[in-house]
Amino acid sequence: MSEEKVIVANKGLIRADFAFWVGQYLDKFYNGLENKKIRGNKCPKCGDVFVPPRKICGKCNVVIPLEENWVDLPETGTIMNFTTTPYRVNDRSSRKTKDWTIGMIQIDGSNTSIIYRLLNMEPEDVKIGMKVKIEWNESTKGDPSDIKGFTKV
Amino acid sequence: MQKVGIVGYYQVKLYSDANYGHYEMIFEASRGALDKAGLKKKDISTVISCTNDYYDGRTISNCFTVEVGGGYMADESKVEMDGAHAVLYGLMRVLSGNHNLAVVWGGSMPSCYPYHTVRLYETDPTWERSLAYVNDITSAGFQMRAYMEKYGVTVEEIAKVAVKNKKNAAKNPLALKEAQLANLTVKDVLDSGKYADPVTELMVAPPCDGVAALLLAPEKQALKITDKPVWITGVGYNQDAYYLGDRDLSGCKSMNLAAKMAYNAAGITDPYSEIDVAELFESYAHEELIFAEELGFADKGKGAEINSAINGDLAINPSGGALGGNPPCATGLIRVIEAVKQLTGEAGQYQVKGAKKAVASGQIGMCAQNNILYVLEAN
Amino acid sequence: MGRQVAIASAGFSEHASKRSDVSMPELVSEAIEDCLKNAPSVELGDIDAFVNGNMPAFEGSNIPELWMTDWMGARNKPLLRVTTGGTTGGTVAISGYYTVAAGLPGVDTVLAVAFEQQSQGDTSVGLASVAYGEISILNTLGIPYDQISRLLSAGAAIGVAAYQATTYMNKTKIKEEDLARVVVQNRRNAAKTWWAHLKMPNLTIEEVLDTPYVQYPLRYGMVCPASDGACAMLFTTEEKAKNMCDIPVYVNGVASVANESAVLGYDGSGSAQVDPSMQLGAIRSSELAYKQAGISFPRKEIDYAEVYAPFPNQQLLWTEKLGLFEEGTAPAMHEAGVTDFNGELPVNCSGGVNATNAIGASAMERPAEAALQIMGKASNQVPKTVHTAIGSGWGGSLNLITLMAMSDQPKRQWR
Repeated sequence: MSEEKVIVANKGLIRADFAFWVGQYLDKFYNGLENKKIRGNKCPKCGDVFVPPRKICGKCNVVIPLEENWVDLPETGTIMNFTTTPYRVNDRSSRKTKDWTIGMIQIDGSNTSIIYRLLNMEPEDVKIGMKVKIEWNESTKGDPSDIKGFTKV
Repeated sequence: MQKVGIVGYYQVKLYSDANYGHYEMIFEASRGALDKAGLKKKDISTVISCTNDYYDGRTISNCFTVEVGGGYMADESKVEMDGAHAVLYGLMRVLSGNHNLAVVWGGSMPSCYPYHTVRLYETDPTWERSLAYVNDITSAGFQMRAYMEKYGVTVEEIAKVAVKNKKNAAKNPLALKEAQLANLTVKDVLDSGKYADPVTELMVAPPCDGVAALLLAPEKQALKITDKPVWITGVGYNQDAYYLGDRDLSGCKSMNLAAKMAYNAAGITDPYSEIDVAELFESYAHEELIFAEELGFADKGKGAEINSAINGDLAINPSGGALGGNPPCATGLIRVIEAVKQLTGEAGQYQVKGAKKAVASGQIGMCAQNNILYVLEAN
Repeated sequence: MGRQVAIASAGFSEHASKRSDVSMPELVSEAIEDCLKNAPSVELGDIDAFVNGNMPAFEGSNIPELWMTDWMGARNKPLLRVTTGGTTGGTVAISGYYTVAAGLPGVDTVLAVAFEQQSQGDTSVGLASVAYGEISILNTLGIPYDQISRLLSAGAAIGVAAYQATTYMNKTKIKEEDLARVVVQNRRNAAKTWWAHLKMPNLTIEEVLDTPYVQYPLRYGMVCPASDGACAMLFTTEEKAKNMCDIPVYVNGVASVANESAVLGYDGSGSAQVDPSMQLGAIRSSELAYKQAGISFPRKEIDYAEVYAPFPNQQLLWTEKLGLFEEGTAPAMHEAGVTDFNGELPVNCSGGVNATNAIGASAMERPAEAALQIMGKASNQVPKTVHTAIGSGWGGSLNLITLMAMSDQPKRQWR
């Protein structure tokens, strides 16, 4: 492409804040996280347990009533999948830095996975099927960051 | 399904940073497609476009493209997925009997936006997004590992797909220059740097600037507009569950169901022997193998055994596929156009000899959550 | 080619300025539940395909139909996403129609869903960034962004509506009372619509006029609210509709035409050069849709209309441009009670967009309410029997008009 001169360039930042309503199901879940407890809910038809909880079971197309079918779950789980990447992404940009390992962990008693960092583990030592447990943040706020990551059991 | 013909097309040359205005690029594609078919603005009945507000960095960005896309004072609408989905809506408008010529175009310019950040906005803002552990990069790693673990496929077999596609791209004058690697080796791919283990950089379809357009017409009109219409004989589209933990990432159920829907409409019963060429939108090298299996070209886990070279048993991505350049909102549309070129004998150096039936796919969402598949036949 | 399409049901979620009790997917599932409630023989599993749309910039969530798959009942089903700015709802409804009309094998029953949860985002930034391409020129001249923000209303929706209003008022010589009258009619109607936002059963013209100007001639009391809400419509074939509801509503004509340009300010969007009340898009859309529906005399043949009008002057403008009234006569028609609940041609008995505006959903709520009036199931059901009705949408950037013409008789003209 030929060399073209840039005549005018405008650089600036416009701030747009967003705050998302999580809904009543996730509200209960985050209350649990704040107390370092994991709660899921169970589909009355197929029995699948969801973490985090949901209003609708996607397989059965049924509503899981808000006040029913809650299940208390342990802090332990199994690594179903993992990846190691040098990339970090946020809501402004992405960059490359040191490797970190992210895992898909199925909490014992649930039928889906949650995705968090695997802590204190070398990538070579991570195996699918390994047992792990939650490492909580010192102080919890009732949001996803309350779970710092998962460590080996 | 009644026959609808693709009667014209145009794809701009892909650049990682095109020195173009977005509107100029759209006009070039849309005008180019009309010129190829020898038609004029007044012949246009409907226009369907595919763009994305977040890619364009502007609210309702698609309304400003109406003029340059050919839709001024035409009955038009816009899709916000992959260009291949815009083809679907154009197809539906023609099949309805309300329209005789549909212009379909799509594309964006990733040189103007932070690609991974914008993909992050697709994630669930009430659960995953704030931590950003789930993004298009880690999703790739999860998907490739799931596939390899389940079937014992090796990184070398997957890297071979990247080698094949980048070499094919070198024969495609419109592909992205940085993706045209005629002398690429498996070792080069494996050494190209960690993206999200086990995915390496050269296994990833590179986002780039681009726009493409095509024209659809019902059978009667198609035969009058061109002597080489390509018929859409089947289409299928399907959307999987959203959360990665809800899916079996070693396969792709939505592609499987989209294929069933398309094959059913087109009367395909033995895809491996009936299809001559496949242009698939593979975001990563391993996705091409997963899709080939879901499309019935090989048993699960055996995708790597297909001879998918240009002169092989079933050519897959002779144009280089998305690994040859991935302009978001255009990539799937370009796959359809490349399949059309194969069937009209206009694929130049990467022509598959005697191609009569093709499939073309598009996708949107992490790990190909929503897939769309076309069955195309030469006249 | 193609086949007759019918609407079997329509449903809504509750609309409010802040639906803080639900997440976006839950809001959508509320509308779907209401829609299926009105067609009790249909279950979520019976839906063959889905169409979904909203204005993604307002919630800060890109292509959210991916995230809400399970909440829509769309897991492993065909799904298409359509968005066109303010007319998103209308184009989603039209896309629902086309999905059925196309006759793809196995796709007979389609659920179309449109929604918006604006309270989650910054609507003014969302709207501003429509115009920012032009506004950034002012940045270049040295004016900082924050100082421009009030000027932005001149380029965004209300600014455009104000230009439409002044040119229209200049032609018809109407007063602000005529605008206030439309507002009063809409919001009193909204009081009888269960899902509407601004329910004001005792609103008076004086109360509307006793509010400050936002931008002449539009006052705060005349402006539509910003609402959270969702709408869903069920489209299917002529044969299947008969088993789903008592009075299927046949979609006989659809169109979505825009005279939009790449630069705001050209061609009737608010520049001084061209009259923005000309509305070429509306005229062409109604030509196409009426021709398709076999409607030759809209004023006589249409029994009910839901006309998209966030600002009162637009209801006057588009009832004329869509052929319901002769040019310049809409104000007199409104004053004479023709558009009243028990008038000859009732308009916006749901309260219209002036009383409820969830941007992504509002253009679908117009054909949805019009369809319910034909079915006899609308919340504020008019006393006369409605055979033929229209629902329109406005938006895109500024001049995209969607139109759906419906009737209790399948009257589609075939090419």
